[in-house]
Amino acid sequence: MADTASGGSSGSGTVTADMPRDTFRGDRPAHGSAWLGGPANPPPVERSGGKHSTTPADNYYLARRRTLQVVVSSLLTEAGFESAEKAAVETLTEMLQSYVSEIGRSAKSYCEHTARTQPTLSDIVVTLVEMGFNVETLPAYAKRSQRMVITAPPVTNQPVTPKALTAGQNKPHPSHIPGHFPEFPDPHTYIKTPTYREPVSDYQILREKAASQRRDVERALTRFMAKTGETQSLFKDDVSTFPLIAARPFTIPYLTALLPSELEMQQMEETDSSEQDDQTDTENLPLHMSTDDSGAEKENASVLQQNASLSGTRNGEESLIDNPYLRPVKKPKIRRKK
Amino acid sequence: MNRKKGDKGFESPRPYKLTHQVVCINNINFQRKCVVGYVELTIFPTVANLNRIKLNSKQCRIYRVRVNDLEAAFIYNDPTLEVCHHESKQRNLNYFSNAYAAAVSAVDPDAGNGELCIKVPSELWKHVDELKVLKVHINFSLDQPKGGLHFVVPNVEGSMAERGAHVFSCGYQNSTRFWFPCVDSYSELCTWKLEYTVDAAMVAVSNGDLVETVYTNDMRKKTFHYMLTIPTAASNISLAIGPFEILVDPYMHEVTHFCLPQLLPLLKHTTSYLHEVFEFYEEILTCRYPYSCFKTVFVDEAYVEVAAYASMSIFSTNLLHSAMIIDETPLTRRYLAEALAQQFFGCFISRMSWSDEWVLKGISGYIYGLWMKKTFGVNEYRHWIKKELDQIVVYELKTGGVLLHPIFGGGKEKDNPASHLHFSIKHPHTLSWEYYTMFQCKAHLVMRLIENRISMEFMLQVFNKLLSLASTASSQKFQSHMWSQMLVSTSGFLKSISNVSGKDIQPLIKQWVDQSSVVKFYGSFAFNRKRNVLELEIKQDYTSPGTQKYVGPLKVTVQELDGSFNHTLQIEENSLKHDIPCHSKSRRNKKKKIPLMNGEEVDMDLSAMDADSPLLWIRIDPDMSVLRKVEFEQADFMWQYQLRYERDVVAQEESILALEKFPTPASRLALTDILEQEQCFYRVRMLACFCLAKIANSMVSTWTGPPAMKSLFTRMFCCKSCPNIVKTNNFMNFQSYFLQKTMPVAMALLRDVHNLCPKEVLTFILDLIKYNDNRKNKFSDNYYRAELIDALANSVTPAVSVNNEVRTLDNLNPDIRLILEEITRFLNMEKLLPSYRHTITVSCLKAIRILQKNGHVPSDPALFKSYAEYGHFVDIRIAALEAVVDYTKVDRSYEELQWLLTMVQNDPVPYVRHKILNMLTRNPPFTKNMESPLCNEALVDQLWKLMNSGTSHDWRLRCGAVDLYFTLFGLSRPSCLPLPELGLVLNLKEKKAVLNPTIIPESVANNQEAVSNPNNHGPLIGFQNIEDDHLIKETATSMSIHQQGLKRKADMPLGSPLEPGQILEKNEDSKVKLKIRFSNSQEEEEIDMDTVHDSQAFIYHHLNMLERPSTPGKEQSSLELNMLPLQAAPLSAFSKESNSSKHSDHHHHHHHEHKKKKKKHKHKHKHKHKHDSKEKDKEPFAFSNSPASGRSIRSPSLSD
Repeated sequence: MADTASGGSSGSGTVTADMPRDTFRGDRPAHGSAWLGGPANPPPVERSGGKHSTTPADNYYLARRRTLQVVVSSLLTEAGFESAEKAAVETLTEMLQSYVSEIGRSAKSYCEHTARTQPTLSDIVVTLVEMGFNVETLPAYAKRSQRMVITAPPVTNQPVTPKALTAGQNKPHPSHIPGHFPEFPDPHTYIKTPTYREPVSDYQILREKAASQRRDVERALTRFMAKTGETQSLFKDDVSTFPLIAARPFTIPYLTALLPSELEMQQMEETDSSEQDDQTDTENLPLHMSTDDSGAEKENASVLQQNASLSGTRNGEESLIDNPYLRPVKKPKIRRKK
Repeated sequence: MNRKKGDKGFESPRPYKLTHQVVCINNINFQRKCVVGYVELTIFPTVANLNRIKLNSKQCRIYRVRVNDLEAAFIYNDPTLEVCHHESKQRNLNYFSNAYAAAVSAVDPDAGNGELCIKVPSELWKHVDELKVLKVHINFSLDQPKGGLHFVVPNVEGSMAERGAHVFSCGYQNSTRFWFPCVDSYSELCTWKLEYTVDAAMVAVSNGDLVETVYTNDMRKKTFHYMLTIPTAASNISLAIGPFEILVDPYMHEVTHFCLPQLLPLLKHTTSYLHEVFEFYEEILTCRYPYSCFKTVFVDEAYVEVAAYASMSIFSTNLLHSAMIIDETPLTRRYLAEALAQQFFGCFISRMSWSDEWVLKGISGYIYGLWMKKTFGVNEYRHWIKKELDQIVVYELKTGGVLLHPIFGGGKEKDNPASHLHFSIKHPHTLSWEYYTMFQCKAHLVMRLIENRISMEFMLQVFNKLLSLASTASSQKFQSHMWSQMLVSTSGFLKSISNVSGKDIQPLIKQWVDQSSVVKFYGSFAFNRKRNVLELEIKQDYTSPGTQKYVGPLKVTVQELDGSFNHTLQIEENSLKHDIPCHSKSRRNKKKKIPLMNGEEVDMDLSAMDADSPLLWIRIDPDMSVLRKVEFEQADFMWQYQLRYERDVVAQEESILALEKFPTPASRLALTDILEQEQCFYRVRMLACFCLAKIANSMVSTWTGPPAMKSLFTRMFCCKSCPNIVKTNNFMNFQSYFLQKTMPVAMALLRDVHNLCPKEVLTFILDLIKYNDNRKNKFSDNYYRAELIDALANSVTPAVSVNNEVRTLDNLNPDIRLILEEITRFLNMEKLLPSYRHTITVSCLKAIRILQKNGHVPSDPALFKSYAEYGHFVDIRIAALEAVVDYTKVDRSYEELQWLLTMVQNDPVPYVRHKILNMLTRNPPFTKNMESPLCNEALVDQLWKLMNSGTSHDWRLRCGAVDLYFTLFGLSRPSCLPLPELGLVLNLKEKKAVLNPTIIPESVANNQEAVSNPNNHGPLIGFQNIEDDHLIKETATSMSIHQQGLKRKADMPLGSPLEPGQILEKNEDSKVKLKIRFSNSQEEEEIDMDTVHDSQAFIYHHLNMLERPSTPGKEQSSLELNMLPLQAAPLSAFSKESNSSKHSDHHHHHHHEHKKKKKKHKHKHKHKHKHDSKEKDKEPFAFSNSPASGRSIRSPSLSD
């Protein structure tokens, strides 16, 4: 009894096993001696969970259910039934179970109401009263002559409390805490567990890792490039040990040489966006003479406007930038023939 | 030649004054690289009978010349195309240099000469006599110019604008004549109207104000109209056309910047500083920028990094950089500032003649120095001055001197101011590039000396005066005679100085400007305890080449215990010893602070010093107020004190260099202390790194502790917790950045007892590379990584080679394997993620060459050759070419040398061509006194051809070829040549060295003879010597009937005694008399030959040039001879298809004709010669042509 209770309380997380266990706990005092020999045919219980009856918890559950069925069957026999439909037995079992469960639940509530952890007899009595059960009739009922005695259910394997979560030993209560208070939680929930090495060496390893990772990536990449393209070699006899990607002339060599690579651009944005902002603030928008050869005039005009508005906002005054390169291109004069 | 004397104002060498010029380029074809346009010059005759107008023009094809709308005859003759004609076996550099100088003189605008001679139509003579205006209109075109204008046309898809095709003017000194006819002199100023019609997607940038841009009728092109109202010399006119992106300077709207497409963000950043430079110059000069606008253009394949022209500068696009680049930033800013300084002095104020060049270079360099002092600080400035001083001293001691203000007076050969050089310094175009660089360097150093003398305030007043005079003159639109105020001359400048300051700087000028060479001091001292006197001995070496004697004041600074004291010694002829009384007693002060020169007082540990002497250190000429080299002896502890406590960076650098000779623990300590001291100037600290490496190597057996600098580097740049890992990069502090870059490079120079780089150091550097992490850095680390590769290369020592085994992978040293691994990875990564300016590739290539050279890797130029190809970034190409040059030297490879020389001739980029020659000169495959399999006749011929005719389109390149020739073969005939087989004799008249007067074999003489005849068709034959030779043979055989006494004087105009002329006379066969003159035959009157300038090119466009009496005084005879009526149809055919080999038969044909004529008129030439010799003093550069060309028909008219 005690260990089931403790198992129940500690297992508040194990939802599936909860209800049946409470039920079972609840019905014991009520039907303490009510185990009678029942019909030997075990009810063919087919619960959804019953499929994998291999786990101890399921076995336990099935055993309980079977016991209840035996009880229902013997009660029915007492009442004079000779046979019953399977469905009827099932229904009655269900009802019994619900009833017993309710008793257990209420009794628990009452006991907790009075700041205890274990229900007492009076709790059960109050509960029964509350449920409209005439307690007075109970002793007489218990002593009825025709009652059937049911053999105790075979001791099924106790559900093994899952060991997985126990980490370390629970601390015993210090002396000033009454024993009924819940036990301390598992130590892992409040004790830090050192699992890594010192952070000092950590940095070194990180750097080391980053460095070698980058190096590996670079080497793999370049080797791949070298394998897939033309190569040059420093040693005539060996082209694979130090493969050099062949030098390839560019059509516009200065572009690759001067413009920062995308990687660098990204980096630049990340590192100093503030400074960059400062600069772009003070500078004019690109006065881009685009390379399309049409519509240059329009473009010039728009550039001019752009510029004007920009300088206006910058200086707070309408000073037009008068630069001859920004002026629109003039249309040819008619007199200038040829 | 125009000679300026004393205070006289400017005298134009021309009989007319140019006032305005129109340049109109109607069409530019990028595909065919050709230009079509016209120029119109407005000139006012200054003499009544002006009948010839000489202009400069090179490589332009001239279609038509009109003077005041009348067709005018003209002659085009460029003797510099081929300097020595058909002297197929003449290989003497002295001879060449003289001939080249003469050729340049013959077209020198400063002497009133020019390649193009236009005859004023007779209808206008009357007009001219009234000194009325003439308008000379010249239609010309340029086809695939090899110099002057440079086309860059990338070979990609798309329109020219999309491809980024552009063109710009370039060249060395006055090179404008390469792209339009003009008076290509810095002293002929005029106003300009410039028009360029270009594709609508292109921008044409030129000098002056852009007045308007107008579409053409089809709207597909537009015309840019520029006006330059400030009188400007043609040499300062420039042009750049391309699909440029335009950026109006946000601080100064009249300043516009241009760059190639896609580079705008870089342009913005790069030019964002320019306005400060403007402000600075305007402030110190108290003068506004003279032009109303300024333009900067950044172009690819630039000729030089920076070229300044009137109101515009052309820069190399490679100067552009983003905000992430540290190292390039100061360099680019310096270039910008330099260009701007030249806007004031060089463009706005121009020089009167070549010998005044130093004033302009000096002033612009000087104010640029002031800017540098203000921008980068006094330390940087003094460091720069010291560097320049060291450079000029080294150069002058090596070559024998740089003369700032050459005076070519008197005409005595002995007076030739530059007899020690292998080129003439009379013209900018004959100068070696290196000489010119040094010339500029010396000019600004001398300007600084003048400042020392008269104070900066006066100096700036003088500049201001020059500028205000010039700007007053420039505003005088219609008084062109005033414009000469815009020209500066040496005398004018000196006069201004004496007016403003009242000081006499004549001795200074005499010493440094009118005279070449530097001073070399040797100093040592002894302390006389009894008298408490410092006995200083200062000796001079004034006998070695490049040295001169110094007499005058010399400052000596003595740091004693009681303070620093300046003493001014008088250096005199005979006194070597100088006694300097000491202020302090030698007794040790007790804990007293020691006052320094700058007033600071410091504690010193005096235990190292000599107990008897109060002297801490002594410095000779601390202010660098003499152009000198000082070798001073003082004890090691004195150098150490000087390094630690002297606050002047120059003194610190000097002491670091001196400490190399004292490898002691005390020196080591002093250097490490300096290295660690953050207040110390970073360049000093960088220098200390290298010195420390040297000291450590000298002390290798006694050195204790980790390798030098390692612990220091670890402390400064590595993580505290893990000292073998470098911190992630943070280059915010530039000084430590530079130190971080330098230290590994210096450390890699360390060697252990086996003379190998210690393993520890190599591992350390490899770790630096491995752990380098730039992700958090605001700046790019490409320069840093490049230097780490340099460090790897520095660590390489020669491979231990067992009997010359072939280098293979198997026997590769494991350390080298690691190094190679890194280099391979870096080089490959560059292909995927290129670094700025490919610094890493450059370093990798250098490192690979070092591995090859040290025998770790098989020596093979193939890799470098592929990187040297056109299409790689120029820095990569140069690095690769340098490796090939080195390979050529080490492996003595004739093939590679040929490959390089081919590139010199054919590479599209002028800068690369120039650079190859330069590198070959610096690292020559052999030198004149060396036996080498490379030195053979074919090479001599090839190089000769290169400088003689192959480089006529680029002055700088030709001078580079001359330098190389000099380095390889020296001044005299190359020793690898067989004795001349031909009957041509060369005699040098130089009295110092008479070069072998060789035998004259008679049989072959006529070959030589014949050679001089085709000369007259020089341009038609072009550069194809093979063909010439062929021709020669033909003529020689067929012509023996017409033999005459052919005469020629090879190098110089007869009348000029200035140059060591060679007189060559020869004869063919028996009928002809043979005259041989040996070196002492100087009597001109005996020589019955023409003052032939035999390098000539003619293009005859018009028949029947009209005859008219010459302009008196000048160029009479020579002009006359140049006027050649173009009578024969074949000739005009030639002119159109010059250089075409098909016409060799025509040559032949004419050859005969000319020969005949020549015979007839021989006597007349004698006559003419007398005439010439009378005039020779006036007319040193007059030249006339060989009679063979048929122009002798005209000689009667001139003889009487």
